[in-house]
Order: sequence, then structure tokens, then C-alpha cells
Amino acid sequence: MSAPMPAVRIEGLCKDFGTTRVLDGIDLDIPRGKVTCLIGPSGSGKSTLLRCVALLEEPTDGYISINGDPLGFDRGPNGARVKLPARQIRKVRSRIGMVFQQFNLWPHMTAVGNVSEALVTVRGMSRADAEERARKELDAIGLGARAGHYPSELSGGQQQRVAIARALALDPGIMLFDEPTASLDPELTGEVLNVMRRLAESGMTMLVVTHEIGFAASVGSKIAFLDHGRILVEGAPGEVFAKPREPRIDQFLETYLDRGAATLL
Amino acid sequence: MSWKLFWLLVEAARLTVLLSAGAIAIGFLIACLVCAGMLSHNRVARGAGRLFVSFFRGTPLLVQLLLIYYLLPSIGLDVPSEVAAITGMALCTAAYQAEIMRGGLGAVPSGLLEAAEMTGMSAAQTFRRIRLPIAFKLTLPALVSEAIMMLKSSSLVSVVGVIELTRMAQDLAASTYRPLELYAAAGLIYLVINIVVALLGTGLEARLRWGRI
Amino acid sequence: MGADMSFDLGLILSYLPRILEGLGVTLMLWVIGSALGLAVGFAVAVGRRYGPAPLGWLLRGIVEVIRGTPFLVQVFLLYYGGPFIGLRLENIPAGILALAIYAAAYYSELWRAGFDAIPKGHLEAADCVGFTEWQTLRRIILPEMTVLVLPSMVNMTILILKETAILSIISLPELTLSVSAIGTQHYAFVESFTVLALLYWALVEICGALGRRAEARLSKYRFAT
Repeated sequence: MSAPMPAVRIEGLCKDFGTTRVLDGIDLDIPRGKVTCLIGPSGSGKSTLLRCVALLEEPTDGYISINGDPLGFDRGPNGARVKLPARQIRKVRSRIGMVFQQFNLWPHMTAVGNVSEALVTVRGMSRADAEERARKELDAIGLGARAGHYPSELSGGQQQRVAIARALALDPGIMLFDEPTASLDPELTGEVLNVMRRLAESGMTMLVVTHEIGFAASVGSKIAFLDHGRILVEGAPGEVFAKPREPRIDQFLETYLDRGAATLL
Repeated sequence: MSWKLFWLLVEAARLTVLLSAGAIAIGFLIACLVCAGMLSHNRVARGAGRLFVSFFRGTPLLVQLLLIYYLLPSIGLDVPSEVAAITGMALCTAAYQAEIMRGGLGAVPSGLLEAAEMTGMSAAQTFRRIRLPIAFKLTLPALVSEAIMMLKSSSLVSVVGVIELTRMAQDLAASTYRPLELYAAAGLIYLVINIVVALLGTGLEARLRWGRI
Repeated sequence: MGADMSFDLGLILSYLPRILEGLGVTLMLWVIGSALGLAVGFAVAVGRRYGPAPLGWLLRGIVEVIRGTPFLVQVFLLYYGGPFIGLRLENIPAGILALAIYAAAYYSELWRAGFDAIPKGHLEAADCVGFTEWQTLRRIILPEMTVLVLPSMVNMTILILKETAILSIISLPELTLSVSAIGTQHYAFVESFTVLALLYWALVEICGALGRRAEARLSKYRFAT
């Protein structure tokens, strides 16, 4: 059975910070039109893996391809690993949208300014067209009334929704989320998770690093559990959380959920 | 103290403001170059930038002014003392401004730059649209303090014979034999100028209403 | 002047004893001026924080006036204007006094920032474990503040060193006056001011390096703010 080409294919990915190996030979396919969740204890390397896919970190070894196109590095003749030119990197990366834990909205621009900025500077749209498009994106996530506000005038949940709109405005083929709700108060995580849930239903390819086990189990089609820079288990939520479980996963679930919830899963 | 004397001081204060404003403006341009040097990947440019900042921050402005005042004629540049004064002040404030700029650019959270990179902005676009405006806001208070520092330091150019506010007070004190009133009045004028500059700075900051970073 | 274009730093350096004498006076002014400034500045900061409101306003006014006017004008006011209100000082005591007042104004602001930067939680914690106010001051506030304000204190102290040069204008025989006098004697102005600049530069760099070492040694006491 030949599977369709994955949206992202990661092969033998390694990343060292100094002498510490943070990612140790990751192989992972991100299926198109589905939600893949990376879970695992802090320091397991899941955020680093996501940042490698965004090429915000340069992998020490291994290959990543997006829709079959190599990202950052390619196999050269006689198996050598060659770095691709910056132009090629920007082209492949333009299909990736990224949402950060700290939102990273530009503080000197309003919500509409944040969403329209790259449409003007990168895509060459007129300011008026870009702002119109930005307002549509903001309306879609229910923030149309806040378009003229600066990030400092928005709640954390609203900021993160604007950040999602900023990424979506550029029509990415895949969206990366780096712990998108980790810096939010519990009562604000819901609004962000709802936006993500709707995005998943619309068929967006998503790679999500999260501690929201409930979200991962209900929305994720595929879960990869990372530990010490390696993928310990991967598969559908039913498989990963099915008992009997890996002891490391049990341990992890008990830390992040209370005992009662962990036994329910 | 008569109004006539006070008016002479105010007249002289115009030169103080002019010299300081000129030095700050010229110093800003030099500071941009020095800061670019310090942040450059080129080792020579980086070393030169750092040496410039270290020297002009590491020596008293008085000594710099005297050195430049005597150095320029000795290399064949016979310029009026006002020019020597403004040159010395500009070089000195350039060193401080360059260090402020470097700090400000470095203080822009890296996540904001990564977000720009992820939208596909080029390095130049990221610098112009994201890093620079945020650094400007971050450094505004320090730049205003530096302007006030320069207004006060301009009193030192009195030693190279520029008749600005302090030198005028000195000359009048000698001829009228009323140092107490004249120096107090000169101090008052400096204070008023600096308060105005501080208020302008606060006003400008308030206009950038985008709050905390 | 200007006929002799040779640039001879050796000429200036041959007056080493006179240079060292001037250097001694500069260091004396600097140490006494900044020590007094540190102490008085601390008292001012405490007065503004814990004293009655009118005292706070008065101190704030004085600090703002000193910070808003040039040091040279303050020196002139004290040295030439002082006798008219019965304050007749030789140039060395006048110089030290002016330096100390100037330094105190700036140091008081740094101390004040230090007080403000100590997290309230630390003080509440000290209260909870039953420290007296004096113990809290000695065991919590002062050590934490030292770590917090050390970098800016080092910068300020270096600034004071450079300000001592201004006292040459009231003929105080410190480094700048001694070396420029040698220059005048031989019409070697450029040489003398070059030597001066290099000497101050070396002094400032040494202080900066010592300050950074002290910071590094204290860095383990740092906490996130």
C-alpha cells in the first residue's frame, strides 16, 4: 500500500546545542490535512523539533522536506549534506505559518497592522487591500471589533488569536503551533483551542506542540511522544494512550493530568 | 541683578542650545556608523567601533575638547573655536548614543524577529519595519537623558573660548563682581532648558501609545 | 607655536613625578568625593523613602536641581559665590564638597531605584519568618540592593572620576592641571592632552574591569526581577 506524500517528512533529524544532543535521530511523517501533536516532558526536544521544521533552528544532521521539496539541506552527490541557498529556504518556508508560545505580536502595530504587514512587505499587496484582507481574517476569528487595538490593549487569548490570523493571512500550507496556550491563563486557553479546532476541521495541516492532552487526544489524528530527543511512541491517540502503556507515558500523564483523569484515558 | 544682565545670559543660552543640538544631531549620524560597526560581522569594523566607544566614554570631555582644540590647528585645520567645540561634543555624544543604540537593538525580543522571519520578511525588511521602531521606543528615555547630559556638558566649551551661557556668566561675574547671582541665574537657565527637553521627551513617549513590550 | 611638528610623548612622560603627584590628587578627590557621595546619597534615598512628605519633596527638589545643572556651574557657584554667603573655602575643600554634593544627587537616585527593585514578596517573606525591621534591612534589603545596583554604581563612580577633571578649572592641582601645565611650559599642547587622555582611559578601563569582576563574583546572588 503506497501512502500519499506526507506534508512534511522528517528523516534522521539530529540537533546539538553545544555538546548536548537535543534531538537524536527523529523520523516522522506529518500527514496532509490532519493534526499531528507532539507531546512529552519538558526538555524532551519537542519545541526544538518544531523549530527545526520552521528552520528557526538549523538541524545538525538529517533532512526535512515539505511537499517533497527539501528544507534547508539536501542530499548532494555522493551522499554529502549540502545547505541550500537562502532564496530557496525562504520559498519553501513561505508555505509554513508559525504560532509562538509568547504570541510575538509586534507591539508597535495594531491587530490589523500585525496581520497586514507581511501582505504588504512580502506579498507586495497595496496597504488598503492588505488591510481589507486582514480585517476579514480578524472577523473570522471573532476579533473584528478589536482590529484597531494594539497588542498591549488585548488579552493574552486575543493576542494569540491575532497571531494565528497573522499566520493564516499568508495562506500557508501547514501551520506550526509551539505550545500556543502555555502562557495563557486557564480561562483563556479555550478561545484559542476553539480557533485551532475550527482550523483543523477546515482541513489545515497542523503540527502542534502542546501540553493540552485533552486537545491532543480529541483533535489530533496522530500523536508523537518524545522523550530525551527520541520518539518513544507514535500513532493515533487510541494507540498511544491505549493500555498497557509505556511506563514513561504513564509517568508523563500522571504529571500533567491528575491521577483520576489519567486512568480515564 | 538687573534684567539687562539676565538678558545677556539668555542670549548666550541660545548658543548653548544651538551647540548642543548641533552636536547631538551630528553625533547621532556618527553614532549610527559606530553602532553599525560594532554590530558588523567584520572584525576590523567591530574593533574600530568598540575602540571609538571605549575611548570617548573613557576620557573626560574636557580633555577631549582641549585635545581637539589644539590638535586641529596642528594638523593644518584652522577652524573657529565653535567648530572645535562642536566636533568634540559630537564625537563624545556619538560614543554614548552608539552604546545606547546597540543596547536598544539588542533588547528587541528575539521572538518578534523570528515572527517576522516566519512571515517571509527579508533581513532588511525585518530591521526597518520591526527591529528599528521597537528599539527606538526602548531607547527614547536614554536618548533624552543623553541630550540633557550634552546640554550640561556644553558648559565645558567655555574653556576653549566659546562665549556660551557658562562663559558669559563667568565674564559678567568678573566684571560686575556678582558671582553668586550670575552663576545661580545661569544654573536656573540650564535647569529650565533641561526641564523643557525632559517634557518634550515625555510628550514624545506618550505619543507612541503602544505601551509595554 | 606649531613650528615644531614632532610629536614627542616622551617629553611629557619625563615629568613622571609631577604626573604622579597630579594623579594622587585626582585619586584622592575621586575616592573622598564618591565615598561621601555614596553615604550622603544613601541618606537622601532613605529620607525620601521613609521621611515625612515635606522632607521628601525638599530632597527631590534639591536632587533635581543638581541633576539639571552643569557640574562646572555648581563648582563656580560654590567656589566664587560661596564667600558672598560666608562660605570661604580653599579650592581643594571646595572641589571635594562640590564633587560630593554632585555625586550624592546621582547616587541617591541609584539607591532609590535599588529600594524600588526589591520585590515586595521578599520583604513579606522576611516579615513572615519573624525578622525585625533592622534585620530585614541588614539581611535582606542591603545585600539584595548591592547586587542590583552594583553595575550602575560602577558606571556612576567612573563618571565621577571623569568629572574630577573639571576641577582643574578652579586651579585645583589634579591630573589635568598638572599635565596641561607641563604642556604649556613646552608648547606641547597636543602631546600633553594625548598623554592625559590615555591616562584617564587606562584608569577608566581598569575600574570597569574591576567592576565587572565584582559583578561576576556577586552574580550568584542575582535573582530574576
